[in-house]
Amino acid sequence: MPKKYKSSSELKKRLWRNKLLYVMLIPGVLYFIIFKYLPMYGLIISFQDYKPYQGITGSEWVGMKHFSRLFTEPDFLNILANTLILFGMNILIYFPIPIILALMLNELRGTFFKRFFQTLVYLPHFMSWVIVVSISFVMVTMDGGIINELLAYFGFAKINFLLSPGWFRPMYILQVIWREAGWGTIIYLASIAAIDPGLYEASRMDGAGRLRQVWHITLPAIRGVIITLFILKIGSVLDLGFEHVYLLLNSMNREVAEIIDTYVYTAGLRQGQFSYSTAIGFFKSIVGLIMVMTVNKVSKKIGEEGVY
Amino acid sequence: MTKKSFTLLLSSLLTLSMLSACGGNNNKEAAATKDPGASTGTNTTATTDPATAEPEKPTEIKIMLPLNTTDTPPDTIKNEVEKLTNTKLTYQFFPADTYEEKLNSSFATGSLPQVTYLKNQTTFLQMKEAIKDGQFWEIGPLLSEFPNLNKLKPEILNNTKVDGKLYTLYIGRPLARQGIIYRKDWADKLGLKAPANTEELFAMAQAFTEKDPDGNGKKDTIGVVDRNELVYGAFKTVSSWFGTPNNWAEKDGQLAPEFTFPQYIDTMDFFRKLREGGYMNQDFAATSKTDAVNMFTSGKAGLYIGGSMQDIDSLNKDLIKNVPDAVLDTHSMVAGPDGKFAQWMIPGYNNVVLFPKSAVKDEAELKKILKFFDAMMTPEVANLMYWGIEGTHYTVVDGKAKATDNKELIEREVKGFKDSVIGEYETNGMYQSLNVLPGRIHAEELVLENVKYGVADPTAALDSATYTSKGVELQQIIADATYKYMYGQLDKAGFEKEVENWKSRGGAKIIEEYNAAYTK
Repeated sequence: MPKKYKSSSELKKRLWRNKLLYVMLIPGVLYFIIFKYLPMYGLIISFQDYKPYQGITGSEWVGMKHFSRLFTEPDFLNILANTLILFGMNILIYFPIPIILALMLNELRGTFFKRFFQTLVYLPHFMSWVIVVSISFVMVTMDGGIINELLAYFGFAKINFLLSPGWFRPMYILQVIWREAGWGTIIYLASIAAIDPGLYEASRMDGAGRLRQVWHITLPAIRGVIITLFILKIGSVLDLGFEHVYLLLNSMNREVAEIIDTYVYTAGLRQGQFSYSTAIGFFKSIVGLIMVMTVNKVSKKIGEEGVY
Repeated sequence: MTKKSFTLLLSSLLTLSMLSACGGNNNKEAAATKDPGASTGTNTTATTDPATAEPEKPTEIKIMLPLNTTDTPPDTIKNEVEKLTNTKLTYQFFPADTYEEKLNSSFATGSLPQVTYLKNQTTFLQMKEAIKDGQFWEIGPLLSEFPNLNKLKPEILNNTKVDGKLYTLYIGRPLARQGIIYRKDWADKLGLKAPANTEELFAMAQAFTEKDPDGNGKKDTIGVVDRNELVYGAFKTVSSWFGTPNNWAEKDGQLAPEFTFPQYIDTMDFFRKLREGGYMNQDFAATSKTDAVNMFTSGKAGLYIGGSMQDIDSLNKDLIKNVPDAVLDTHSMVAGPDGKFAQWMIPGYNNVVLFPKSAVKDEAELKKILKFFDAMMTPEVANLMYWGIEGTHYTVVDGKAKATDNKELIEREVKGFKDSVIGEYETNGMYQSLNVLPGRIHAEELVLENVKYGVADPTAALDSATYTSKGVELQQIIADATYKYMYGQLDKAGFEKEVENWKSRGGAKIIEEYNAAYTK
């Protein structure tokens, strides 16, 4: 909690004392101004019929036309629902996995094994989605994919994983877990490492077993980190990784796979409807902002620290 | 303090997802060139000012174009072209896979260079609105000043006109080069001839699947390999054999889209049966071109339909690495159920080049650029860009160019420029290719033969505002329905319901607009 300073001179003194820290802050602030704040000026085009040649100043103002087009689009509700379902799966299924994984890794004795498994689980993060999706394509295709060959070998019917709407979501979340879970453990492992070993010793003296220690010491200690990450995750509510979904999307699973991002891509960039796609992006950001503020409030209400 | 800056950080992260789909790359771009006017300024200052230029001073030209190889070519060819044309060229290559994105984001930020290649007919259609808007230079009236550009074929130029005016130069392609590339060795072994009609085509696919054409005693081959592409994949080519019109045709005195014709349904039935029988790859709706080509070149599939028959060279090259005694041949001209021949035709170009007004500031500058393209249409420059350097990349045999066997060298140094050559050999005088592969020689004959039965798209030179703005999105409805039908998830009534859906979402307007333009 920042202290209240008695006088401005004291504040000045403190500022001066930490001057190097503030100098180090400059590049970061500049980055955000140039790449994050200035482009927001571009949001203006969502209220215009933007014509690149005429520019923002010359384009015609159309008010909320693009927003109302979005909300009246017959597919809009479906796309929004798909987006929210994938997001829900991210929160409910994916989110706890790095925590569990981190707790498990932490229980591994022997530095070598620990390092080995840790590296093993975060390697997939460095593969692009194209690679991840291609690997799964090769594995699950009906035309000689290993999983379908196995199914056939054991006398089961082949399953059309790639083209059935029912398999899209499981494939999506499994790929997310495979690629990201290990990477997600890093921050939890770091905060576990910061726990005072004395606590564990004391609890062992009191006769606590491994599970008890995890439950009563490790988990409470990393609760703050979990909540912070949770709020951040909520903020990216409608960002599900465009590339990943786009690669999995096809004519047969569109009804469950089309999300806001892929819709922006087809409607906006491929068709050059800049104003319309900007309006959708804008809408997405606002939803994200509202979600974060709500969760942050709730988290403070229940006595946790929020992210701000 | 820390909390404040964190808020800043957080809210920044959140608020900025405008144009989110284009990813980080484009965000930066949007920031760098948020004001189109500013970037226009930088572009024009970079080019030579015609008023002050010495007559001999090379013209500086910036060119943006799609790249179909993995790496940007070295300057070998470029330097030679610069010498021949007295220019200073800056090529901006962008990967073809994401070219549409690049094109649209550059366009949105007003940062297109003086010479902008599009990607294909579809991107051209999308640009039409901006063209009508006057954002690109009209070049039609200037062509007569350039003797070589003036040779471009008027009928093809006509296909690229927008509202009757010419804005583009075209990269020529044979009108009808689609067909079949198939395993002749398999066919011979099974005693099959090239399919004369769609029934024989089906029978061939069936035999390739069931009669163990590779003779390994296992049922591990399939007939047709296709990919997730209805136009440049197998579907469109086969649909033309069935007698489906090329995109649009007259029906009861009115232009109607192809998917309202019964032949379109017949084609879907054909593929549905192929798939159900296991005579084609089961996952074709999710198969990429690379995967489809791999399946063919690994010797697993026997028929590669759609695409250019001239691709036989590259398919053959990869196939014989895996199956040394494989023999490929090409075929087209498959009669429909009524015994008639028909062949889908493209409008004679595969790409066009535009000159944005935001980068080319006056007509004098435009003429200098056109002068470069005029020079490109001389045999000397066209050969250099299309074939490379004589002696290094090709040799001349019997008045034809024979490319070096070092295919990688050509891929690396020439391919990038090859795809940008304006016109075709009839108009720019470059060498035709010397073919040695019998299947390729056959393909060249078929390409000429196909035109006799070619079916043109009556809307190629027509305009529909609704199609330009929503056509691609709407077409998705039809594409999805077509796949669902072929996968047996929609019946005829279900498909027709989707067509009605297409109509109500704007399709009816497209029909109306095309018909209005058609009767004019």
